[in-house]
Amino acid sequence: MKARTRNFYIIGDLVLLALIPFGIVAMRRYSYTTVPRFAIIQDMDRMPYLKPQRRSPVFADDRGMRPHIAGTMAQQDFTFVNMAEARAYPGNWPKDHVAIRSGSQYDRIMLGQKLVNGKGQFITRIPIPVTRRLVLRGQKEFDIFCTPCHGFNGMGNGTVNQYVNKLRAAGSSDAGSWVQPSDLTGPGVKFMPDGGIYNVITNGIAVMAAYKDQVPVVDRWAIVAYVRALQLSQKKVAAGRLPKSVRSRLK
Amino acid sequence: MSEKPFFVFPKWSNTAVLVTLAVGAIVPVYLVAIIWFGWSARTLNVGYQPIQPVPFSHAFHAGKLGINCEYCHSDVKRAAFAAIPPTQTCMNCHTQIAANSAKLQWLRNSYGTGNPKMAGMPIPWKQVNELPDYVYFNHAAHVNAGISCLVCHGQVNHMTRVFQAKPLSMDWCLSCHENPGPNLRPRSEVTNLNWTGKNKVKLAGDLGLTVATLPKNLGRYLMKRYHIPSTKLLTDCETCHH
Repeated sequence: MKARTRNFYIIGDLVLLALIPFGIVAMRRYSYTTVPRFAIIQDMDRMPYLKPQRRSPVFADDRGMRPHIAGTMAQQDFTFVNMAEARAYPGNWPKDHVAIRSGSQYDRIMLGQKLVNGKGQFITRIPIPVTRRLVLRGQKEFDIFCTPCHGFNGMGNGTVNQYVNKLRAAGSSDAGSWVQPSDLTGPGVKFMPDGGIYNVITNGIAVMAAYKDQVPVVDRWAIVAYVRALQLSQKKVAAGRLPKSVRSRLK
Repeated sequence: MSEKPFFVFPKWSNTAVLVTLAVGAIVPVYLVAIIWFGWSARTLNVGYQPIQPVPFSHAFHAGKLGINCEYCHSDVKRAAFAAIPPTQTCMNCHTQIAANSAKLQWLRNSYGTGNPKMAGMPIPWKQVNELPDYVYFNHAAHVNAGISCLVCHGQVNHMTRVFQAKPLSMDWCLSCHENPGPNLRPRSEVTNLNWTGKNKVKLAGDLGLTVATLPKNLGRYLMKRYHIPSTKLLTDCETCHH
């Protein structure tokens, strides 16, 4: 072999070897891995202090965040509870802990309100001022928590219901015992007192789950207000009685 | 010829000089390049896609069904930590739908309707996006300032199994803290991962404006409207490492 050819091969091999690390880098960049990330220099990336939802070896079930002990509540929950709820469901809250710490306007107004009146019926009026802002807030929360099942118009045909109908049509057993969510604009909910709707959101009804852990108190009342707005939107109004700006958009 | 001969470089030294120069020029550049690309958060962190105990698909739930991020991560606008939902949230639907699916064994165990020995045990989800413990990231502060979920988490609504989409390195955080404007959007559209802002009528509605009064520079307008502090404060050490 000539010296020149030999040198060519040596240099060529070196260049190819030198490309391997780049290959590994490119592979790491453009692929997905189940191998946990690693830090070349650890610094203090992981410290033994607890972050939310971290594991802790201190407890038998490994949970660093402890579940509620029956009959107690976390300090920050004071802002999310009100007297009405506490009195209506004495079992849920310890009796001496229903004072509200937060100074927010809504909580002060709700203080002392009962969800159930003297005759054991649900209150008929939302116990906080129903403003445009509250209704808009209700719309936002409704769109998050209620629309998957009840749909954006509240008529009980959200995307989840549509999907289950598809499953059922395909004969899948996954559809299970699903029943169509109720029409929130229909008579069943229309004639329900405000406190009753609030109660359904809070504690669930039939197959609907309780939403008290996901939706704070004020947002629940806001949703009640928005459900009322949805019901009003289904009211039939003579075209002649509509404001001019709306009438012009009618086809 | 008694004179002492001069030292004469052998002939191969001509090649040796060239080779030394070439190696001296290439090797440092090569090493810098390897470290630059290899030791970057994009190489080391992006693309981490662990296998989860329950094969939950965001692409299906958040994408196809269009369930809002906040339905499950419901504390995100109130808390620093966007919590992984409790088993109860899954069971809002899954007591009815696909209630007996083999994929949901962990759910039933945790909920108390499966293996009675495991009742109440949390589902051991693996954390995908994780910051070092000396960074105090606050979800509520970002979400309420009009930073969408996808700025840090990518298009989760297209992910069948969630992976880390962004480097989450300090350099990357600062790139936005130095100029947050382009990443801002109306607060109401934060969880809308398909938002583009191109629909001017919708955008104006979200902001309570009319199309005619829409600001030219949306980012700068939202910075003022959402009271986002100056770049100087946003890039202060103690803003994130307090």
